[in-house]
Amino acid sequence: METADLSHHISRRFNEDLEKVRNQVLAMGGFVEQQLARAVTALVEGDSELGQAVAHDDYQVNRMEVSIDEECSRILATRAPAASDLRLIVAIIKAITDLERMGDECEKIGYIASRLATQERPVDKYREVKHLGRVVQTMVHDALDAFARMDPEAALNVARKDRLVDEEYEAIQRQSITFMMEDPRTIRRAIDVMWVVRALERIGDHAKNICEYVIYMVHGKDVRHLRIEDVETELHEQKGAG
Amino acid sequence: MNDLLRGWGFVVSRVLAALVAGAILGAIAGHVWWGVAGTLVVYLGLQLRELWQLDDWLRHRNRRDPPDAGGLWGEIVSLVARLHRRKQFHKQRTLALFRELRRSTALMPDGVVALNAAHEIVWFNRKAGEMLGLRRKVDFGINIASLLRAPEFVRYLAAGQYTASVLVRPRIGEATCFEMQGVPYGEGQMFLLVRDVTRQVQLETMRKDFVANASHELRSPLTVIAGYLEAFAGDTDLPVDLRAPMLEMRRQAERMTAIITDLLELSRLEASDEQVVGAPIDIEALLSLMRKDVAARDDTRAVEVQLESPHDLMGDQGLIHSAFWNLLDNAVKYTPAGAKIVLRWWTDEAGCHFSVIDAGGGISAEHLPRLTERFYRVDPGRARATGGSGLGLAIVRHVMQRHGGELQIESIEGQGSIFTCHFPPLRLVHQNVAIDTDTRYPLTITD
Repeated sequence: METADLSHHISRRFNEDLEKVRNQVLAMGGFVEQQLARAVTALVEGDSELGQAVAHDDYQVNRMEVSIDEECSRILATRAPAASDLRLIVAIIKAITDLERMGDECEKIGYIASRLATQERPVDKYREVKHLGRVVQTMVHDALDAFARMDPEAALNVARKDRLVDEEYEAIQRQSITFMMEDPRTIRRAIDVMWVVRALERIGDHAKNICEYVIYMVHGKDVRHLRIEDVETELHEQKGAG
Repeated sequence: MNDLLRGWGFVVSRVLAALVAGAILGAIAGHVWWGVAGTLVVYLGLQLRELWQLDDWLRHRNRRDPPDAGGLWGEIVSLVARLHRRKQFHKQRTLALFRELRRSTALMPDGVVALNAAHEIVWFNRKAGEMLGLRRKVDFGINIASLLRAPEFVRYLAAGQYTASVLVRPRIGEATCFEMQGVPYGEGQMFLLVRDVTRQVQLETMRKDFVANASHELRSPLTVIAGYLEAFAGDTDLPVDLRAPMLEMRRQAERMTAIITDLLELSRLEASDEQVVGAPIDIEALLSLMRKDVAARDDTRAVEVQLESPHDLMGDQGLIHSAFWNLLDNAVKYTPAGAKIVLRWWTDEAGCHFSVIDAGGGISAEHLPRLTERFYRVDPGRARATGGSGLGLAIVRHVMQRHGGELQIESIEGQGSIFTCHFPPLRLVHQNVAIDTDTRYPLTITD
């Protein structure tokens, strides 16, 4: 396992630095998870104050990104890591960008939620959005778990779920179009809901990206822009060869 | 000791006897020293054989019986064998104890996770695995905060203050709520106790919701009743003998409205534990306004404002006004007509402070700790006459909690009371005060 690899550095400080920065990334991930949960709750329960709080708290995500980025630059400059350590740092730099974007999407959902809270709520009480939110939240959670455990199998499982999110997204889009055609007065709200669903779908994509970094970290293979099936066969081939 | 001497004496005498015998044999053969040397060679050979057997046994002592050696070697072998048996016995006992311990913790109703100084998971019981979704073996050596990423838990671990516990909702979107408490031991290691408090938290939420809903539902009918009572009270055709009861009914309706308003405010305050951020509050303006409000209502009690600092307070304007007003209102109610009430604002290195000092009847010491409880009455008869809701100080306490501060009550019976709100230093808003205006402070505002 990767954590075992981390433990045989001559310099103990280097180890500690790597562990620290990894924990910081996961703490940032935890905060983003909470932001996402609060943003979805604000929308579904029509809590305007909560929505505004989510939008306000995004500055903390940005601050964490800057601080981790600096730490990574420092490690690259002073320790010149190689092999799996280098991959870890590269993956972390990429992962925090994705986490920061997730934070931005949460901020967007927070804003829209606080605006929608003042309007009449639809009959279905955003059930579809709530469900999509649940799926995306689980994805983010599992992606970060895979990152913490350096578990490429779990990462693959999460990446597979992204297709489900895309399907849900399509379905809600179609539904919204139907609503808009039936009653033009709902267009404004339907457009706002579309923005939220779009943001959730983007968060799902970012979670998938994090999973790709986990695979990159463990196997040293770049699996971006590949179809899930190809990734699977490639990984199994590698396993067979290794 | 005697055994040792006897053993060694026997060995030494035997060696000497053998050497003498060798020397004699050598003398017979014509070479004394050859005889001595031959004896020594034979002796050395015998010793090496014994040593070989001992070494062989020590290397495979778990599978073989000790060698059958006599003399000094026999002594050593039996000593080693005894040591070995004793060690074996202790090992078995420790192992059994450890297994017992592991079996019993595995069945504990609460989750237990053992962490090392770096907060990495060393071990956890079955319950903790189920509750927190940890995987045996796989998760050993992983930092607990990497898997339990709830920000409040991460903050709790980082703060290292394990006297309190922390409430964590590990699964997003579910009501599940765990109470986690760190129990440090040794050099930085600790046990993390995990308890499922979902039910308690739900009950507490239900209670709060009930109070909020009940107050809300009571308000509308009460508004109707109060409205009619007001209309009747103004009716000049009302028979004289009904006027007094009508007035009393109106007063009681007003009191009920006050109680319900306070209950709603309390439940709003209780809805969250999060610290209020707020904005800078102009203390001078706030206190002057409160002074005027009292003057407009009742001119027999003088309110004096003592501003000892130009700095302002960071907080929620509405909540702070409500808290300060409640304290002043209490002071007005319990101060005899014509007496003076002082509002004091000052800052020091411990933060900023607001005091209401009255020269009322004071409160005896036994009541002080319970004063901020809801509906707690020092004198039940008197409270009804003044028309308070009995929730004022509870509101003040909650407002202070939300601002990271606390309420302090000092009182001497017969002399008066001092209610002080202490705010932490980070609530202080420093004003850039020009040198010439600095002489304004301390500033006293009276009539």
